[in-house]
Amino acid sequence: MVFTASLVDNEPLLSPALLAQLERMELVSRKIFRGRMKGEKRSKRKGQSVEFADFRNYVPGDDLRFIDWNLYARLDKLLLKLFLEEEDLHFYSLIDVSDSMQFGSPTKLRYAKQLAASLGYIGLCRSDRVKIEALDGAATSNAPVFRGKRSLGRMCDYVQNQMPSSANVTLLEAVKSFCLRNHGKGILVLISDLMDKSGYEQALKFLVAQNMDVYVIHVLSQEEIDPEILGDLKLVDCEDGDIAEISVSQRLIDKYRATLASFIEQSRDFCSKRGIVYTMTSTERTVDRLVSRYLRHQGLVR
Amino acid sequence: MNFSWIDNALPWWQWGLLGIVPSIIFLLYFLKLRRAPVEVPSTYLWTKALEDLHVNSLWQRLRNNLLMYLQLLLALLLMLSCLRPGCKGTELSGERFIFLIDQSASMSAVDTPEGISRLEVAKNECVKLIDQMKSGNSGMIIAFSDISRTVQSYTANQTALKSKIRSIKQTQRSSDMMEALTAASGLANPGRTSDRNINRDVQVAEGKPARMFILSDGAINEVPDFSLGNLTPDYRPVGAPEPPNNVGIVAMSISDPLENDSQLQCYARLFNSDDEDHKVSVTLKVDGSVVDSQTETVPRNNALGLVFDLSNLLDSLDSPKTVELEIETPDVYSQDNKAWAVVNPPREANVLILSDNNEYLDFVTETKRIGKLANIFNELPEYLDDPKYEEQTTLGFFDLVIFDRCTPKKMPLCNTVFWGSQPPSEEWKIGKLTEPTALIDTNNSHPLMTAVLIGNNVNVLKSGVVEGPRGSVSLLDGADGSIMRVGQRSGFRDLVIGFPLVEITEDFDTSVNTDWMTKLSFPLFIQNVVVELGNGKNFAAAIGGSPGEILNFRTSLPFESVSVTDPNGRKTTLSPRPDNSFTLTGTQKSGVYRVKAPDLENPDLLLPVNLFDRNESNLTVKEKLLLGYDEVTGEAKREVTRKQYWTLFLLAALVVLLVEWVIFNRRVLI
Repeated sequence: MVFTASLVDNEPLLSPALLAQLERMELVSRKIFRGRMKGEKRSKRKGQSVEFADFRNYVPGDDLRFIDWNLYARLDKLLLKLFLEEEDLHFYSLIDVSDSMQFGSPTKLRYAKQLAASLGYIGLCRSDRVKIEALDGAATSNAPVFRGKRSLGRMCDYVQNQMPSSANVTLLEAVKSFCLRNHGKGILVLISDLMDKSGYEQALKFLVAQNMDVYVIHVLSQEEIDPEILGDLKLVDCEDGDIAEISVSQRLIDKYRATLASFIEQSRDFCSKRGIVYTMTSTERTVDRLVSRYLRHQGLVR
Repeated sequence: MNFSWIDNALPWWQWGLLGIVPSIIFLLYFLKLRRAPVEVPSTYLWTKALEDLHVNSLWQRLRNNLLMYLQLLLALLLMLSCLRPGCKGTELSGERFIFLIDQSASMSAVDTPEGISRLEVAKNECVKLIDQMKSGNSGMIIAFSDISRTVQSYTANQTALKSKIRSIKQTQRSSDMMEALTAASGLANPGRTSDRNINRDVQVAEGKPARMFILSDGAINEVPDFSLGNLTPDYRPVGAPEPPNNVGIVAMSISDPLENDSQLQCYARLFNSDDEDHKVSVTLKVDGSVVDSQTETVPRNNALGLVFDLSNLLDSLDSPKTVELEIETPDVYSQDNKAWAVVNPPREANVLILSDNNEYLDFVTETKRIGKLANIFNELPEYLDDPKYEEQTTLGFFDLVIFDRCTPKKMPLCNTVFWGSQPPSEEWKIGKLTEPTALIDTNNSHPLMTAVLIGNNVNVLKSGVVEGPRGSVSLLDGADGSIMRVGQRSGFRDLVIGFPLVEITEDFDTSVNTDWMTKLSFPLFIQNVVVELGNGKNFAAAIGGSPGEILNFRTSLPFESVSVTDPNGRKTTLSPRPDNSFTLTGTQKSGVYRVKAPDLENPDLLLPVNLFDRNESNLTVKEKLLLGYDEVTGEAKREVTRKQYWTLFLLAALVVLLVEWVIFNRRVLI
């Protein structure tokens, strides 16, 4: 496995063709969400929109403008017209920026950024509240909130500038830090390789507790899925410097593949049991394909 | 084959360098310098995969270090091949090989470290030699005792050679290499022919050099008149290097009571070839019953004479008796521990003398001594025309007929003496009588001339040169040639004397031709003639021989057939030859052969067959053989070459290298 500084790192994250494709999409939340600003999403909450929702009895203090006078004339009762509230959607995208994401061609980090930007753009197009955060374990995040298509440029710049974290934080710590700072409902997409020796389970449990619509996109590079290494090697973990000495043999490679398959299976099991939507992807699979086919199929976008 | 595994090919400092190699391999593996560090996103999955593989950790360790072990093995094999392992053995160089295997009696001695007979050792050795032959080399096998037999002529088929070697059997015969050497040199030294016109000799065929292996104990008579020519001899002595324990009977005879104060005695001679004195007990049996036993100490490398008195046998000697002498103390060579002799009942010879007016001959045959030996019939030469003569000589009544100056129409079926007359045979010729006659030489080694001294004291006036058939022996030589010869005639012997004793002058007077009659040697000569040619009263059997010899014998009466029982009890029926004599072949085993007429109870004749051979009884292995002018030394000639096995180790190293390459590729190329 070779450390690859991708040549495409400096290219724009989203190509015009991809942007055109993304504009037609929409983020879907399976839960009732509560935005702070009026957005383009019809909320299940009653609010002020043109779309009628229900009636209720008038109680003193209600806005007289919403009394249905026609009904009062017919029924001699004061009924209040309720309208569906149109709200904005909170969309969070968490990018794992640990050292291990630096591998692959293109790097998993680049892939994750591209994916986050893509989903973020879908949100921007629908006037959703988009927040993209790097999981660097910082206690205070300066991640800006983007809204509206005009924020595309800023968002892309911001995402592009996210660098791998120098502080070696675990996934758990980073997720915990995020959860403490962000509440409320919304969609949360975690893009990570889940390669954390302390385990990803605890971190995901935190996310589940947030009562958000959680999506885990498990990114693996092709080199991880099908390692092309030869000989007697000393494998050095790029994160903690752990060393594994191996003599590559077909038996070992087979064993590795079996371990990887079982790792993916466990993750999928763990997520599905907790209502998390899990998607495994390789960096070989293009972002537009992932979004238009797999994530649509999973119900994240439509 | 002497094994010596190591033949160091390297000096010590190179060994030092080579010795470092395994340590380096070991260090390289355990210092793990070879593992290239590779940074990976996470060792998480790898560690998990390794954990599963490490369950069988010993095997895993072995697997992980398999290449190291293979490399160490490779280094070890290379070092071993540097030691040039091999065994010292003989590698046969050349193209043609002749294997002469001694099968004489002494080869039956069981004195080898292997506990098998010398012949078996020689055969095994020969098989090993054949194994060393390169493919395409051809070999010939000759087994020899006193005769030789080409067991296998030249062939490159090693299997045939080996199977023929195994078929060689022990004999009880003596050794004589001449015949075997002649057979062996047939191809190597082809004959030459001479061309008178160009006055030089030409080789008739190209000589084919061969290497000749002689597998023998060396108990062989020297071969003086032999040239090895293109043969390269290689003598392989077989047998214990130290002289083994053996006391053997090398001679045995029965004395004649007529010559020995009426005593019948058995003489024997024991020979000890060992370097130590040996005490042996000797038993004498007559017809199977023990009559005497003695315990004697035979001095080392020396012989001991024994005398047994058998005089009491004389009273009841009505049929031939077997006398068997046995050394009962066991030794490594059993062949010479038994010997046989025969005592025959007395029989008087019938001698016919056809003479006219020869009082000297009449006088000398009338002695008491001759009377005891034979019945003498004196007749005139006219008796030749008598039908009775014809009948008597045809039926074999006479043992000897002496023709004094007369000649029969045909040769009688008995031994003859022609005195001053020519036999009726073209083979015999007597030259014209000339005088004077100078007597030059007497052949005293012949039994007929034993103790007969004809020197300057005997004068012969007229004599004619006697020419006899092939194989006839001259007994007395005159100035112009032989004047007395004895020759064989199908079982009979003819003595022809070229000078008459007396001559009848024209006046019918008798004049002497020699003064021999007045000398002491004359009656002795007549006695020899009666004993030897008349088969006179002889207690010790005159007929007998050594194993393998062809025996000609005559029975007391002419029989139509006789059966011969050999020492093993096997019977053979023989038919007589025209002269009523019998020929016995197949006397391979020593012992007594019993000749019996079909209708008689007692055997008519006993024929003892003994191998009295001091050469064979002397079991000391000779280190040298004298073949013609060449002396072949045994031990020194064993040229030792090395059979190298290091190539096998090198080959194994290459195989290890190949295996390593395959394993490395299986590990690396996925």
